[in-house]
Amino acid sequence: MTLITTLAVAAAALGAAGHPTPKVVLVKHADFIRQTLPGARQYFLRTVTIGKQDLASIRQASDFTPDDPDAQFYLGQGDGGATVGVVMFQQIDTPHGPIEVGLTFGPGGAIASAAVTTATVETKPWVQEATASGLMNRFVGMREGDDTRKALGSAAGSLGAMPQYIAELIATAVGRGLVMYRTLYRESAS
Amino acid sequence: MGLYSLRHADRSVKLGALLFLLVLGYAYLFAFLMVKTWSGLTPARVASTYVPAPGMDEMHMAQQSHATTQPLDLGRVPEMKHTVDTNLLIQDSHIHIMIYAIVAALLTLVMLGLDWPGWWRDTMIVWAFGFGALDFAGQWLMKFGLGGFSWLTIMSGWGMALVYLIVLYSTVRALLPGRTARSDS
Repeated sequence: MTLITTLAVAAAALGAAGHPTPKVVLVKHADFIRQTLPGARQYFLRTVTIGKQDLASIRQASDFTPDDPDAQFYLGQGDGGATVGVVMFQQIDTPHGPIEVGLTFGPGGAIASAAVTTATVETKPWVQEATASGLMNRFVGMREGDDTRKALGSAAGSLGAMPQYIAELIATAVGRGLVMYRTLYRESAS
Repeated sequence: MGLYSLRHADRSVKLGALLFLLVLGYAYLFAFLMVKTWSGLTPARVASTYVPAPGMDEMHMAQQSHATTQPLDLGRVPEMKHTVDTNLLIQDSHIHIMIYAIVAALLTLVMLGLDWPGWWRDTMIVWAFGFGALDFAGQWLMKFGLGGFSWLTIMSGWGMALVYLIVLYSTVRALLPGRTARSDS
């Protein structure tokens, strides 16, 4: 009877919510924040509720509307209280599940670190192939207004179709992240 | 009567039917773990996986952005929330509805060999196909913003479980030696 009960629960679960494509955490948020803000002694979460003006600016700059009315930035402060960097996580949806890119901005506003932090079971191998060529490093130094597709340059043609597609989506996510950071993050905000 | 009798079928037919059902149950155990991990088993969690986020309410949006800053404990930073967007649900639907249909068809083959009354056999066949379809109907209705239909998806899961267990129970009974067949309906 125990077996029957177990099977009943399992079979119910089968239909409880279909079979969502499982996400795969490649780098935990906390680890990404800690590793890419090495000089930080304390951390803060800044939540920006987007207003009409900034929403219009985001749309104009990137032809993109954020899904969430609240954007979140993770700040690291050094010993003197100065901000050593800001981290954000930008998600982009694919037919094979969402991909999330972690971006760290240095005090000057340029990208200091970039990594794919979350993929799915299906997209993980494509993400790994796309990033193995050093794609994420080529985003370092970029600022809002830079063409993130230039990071694809040397990898284009050498990747398979799906890794290439994923690389392009990653570049799009980075571009959106740049716009979100430049539009919404203000050092002096309370 | 059915199209064949599982009780009187060749040993290989019995073996195939029983192993199919047992391995299907084996797969269901992992399906349970997968769904429990990624989608949840309660109506609220299932709905939060499929119902689209409220999005931007531009009618009530302030003109200026507003920021709040608070200390952060890195030990409590949440990971990305797992959701299923429309494109992903299309992807899931196209493969899973087909697989559900194939499983229902295979269960039907087993049912045809059971000594069930015709009305009951037909009911079970409809359930076998119907619950799989209703599972994804619930998911799509949630995707259209009707979160209450998480119950439809969950109840469909229970329905599939019920069909599976009835077929498994009846098959094992039919295969056990020493039982006499019921009269045909």
